[in-house]
Amino acid sequence: MSLQKEFSKGLWEVIPPFRLVLGLCPTLAVTTSAENGMGMGLATTFVLVFSNLLVSLLRKLIPGNVRIAAYIVIIASFVVIVELLMQAYTFPLYQALGIFIPLIVVNCIILGRAEAFAGKRGPLDSIADGLGVGIGYTISLTVLGSFREIIGSGTLWGLKVFWSGFEPFTFMVRAPGAFVALGVMLALINFISFKLEERKRRAQS
Amino acid sequence: MREIIRMVVVLTVICAVSGFSLALVRGFTKAPIEYSRLKFVKEPAVKAVLSGYDNDPIKDRLTIPVGKNKKGKPINLIVFPAKKGGKTFAVAFEASAAGYHGDIGVMVGVDPAQKKLTGIAIVSHTETPGLGARIVEPNFTASFKGKPADKELKVGDVNALSGATVSTKGVVAAVNNARGLLDKYRDKMLQ
Repeated sequence: MSLQKEFSKGLWEVIPPFRLVLGLCPTLAVTTSAENGMGMGLATTFVLVFSNLLVSLLRKLIPGNVRIAAYIVIIASFVVIVELLMQAYTFPLYQALGIFIPLIVVNCIILGRAEAFAGKRGPLDSIADGLGVGIGYTISLTVLGSFREIIGSGTLWGLKVFWSGFEPFTFMVRAPGAFVALGVMLALINFISFKLEERKRRAQS
Repeated sequence: MREIIRMVVVLTVICAVSGFSLALVRGFTKAPIEYSRLKFVKEPAVKAVLSGYDNDPIKDRLTIPVGKNKKGKPINLIVFPAKKGGKTFAVAFEASAAGYHGDIGVMVGVDPAQKKLTGIAIVSHTETPGLGARIVEPNFTASFKGKPADKELKVGDVNALSGATVSTKGVVAAVNNARGLLDKYRDKMLQ
């Protein structure tokens, strides 16, 4: 597969929360607003790209038996770097995301990509893969966050989108709302890909 | 056997490199982190007690050592100066005193030239909700504004809260502590 393909598959074919259905814990917890979703997505992308690169560079050096431990150390280091940088330069976002920043360490997308992809492929491919999956994750979280923010707080990126008398549907920014929003999005994505496949089949016959 | 040695060596090297790079990142983010912590945690209080300045009080903060704690580590008093045209005309700093339940932390703004309080803001407290917790209300804190800073403040001088006498006394005591700190470190604060 070409580099471009490695990148673009993360945006649709394996888009993390909807196709792989991985990394759901932060997906459900932090997408209370578009801004939080995007911040979480970008932090994850940063960790994913660099951990993919390092794992791929070291893949021949790391003995198979301790590879998971080595990957976790690499991932954890980048997570701490992100945490420190966020504290220094985007403190309000750091406060909003709270415990979910350190929890990127155990986000299965990152370990999954390291194990399934970067551990077997060259560094360039791995960067493309990390960027693609990371950006796909960021887009998913931003869309999910916007959806919940618009309905749950009546705002988007902190700006009001409804008339002044609008009573926001607070249910959507609480935990159960996260499941509902995710379910609706999953259904939508499945519906679209089903339609696409049907069209492809019809074109072939 | 060789395999085991290889595992140990590789993991050790990876951990060492990771530890070293983390220490490096921590080193150069230390100052910005301290700045943003103060900026987002303390600035609202500083803004509430000082006005009319054209500098960044968080950036120009002064750290004055005021003693040592039980473990021998120095306790620092952080002073936020309000400047106009490069000259300090007021300072804000935190002082605390016991309230009804635990300590009340108060950000106190003082104009040393006119010997007046420019305002106070409650930074931290654990008073009873609905009673003592009313000390954070602007109605109460505003009554400290313009009070003399060169003589002891009494509960009768301010808009004391009924039903929360102990909390009111705590805030007044904190302001008096702040006056004590100002007397003691005046020269250092007004550099």
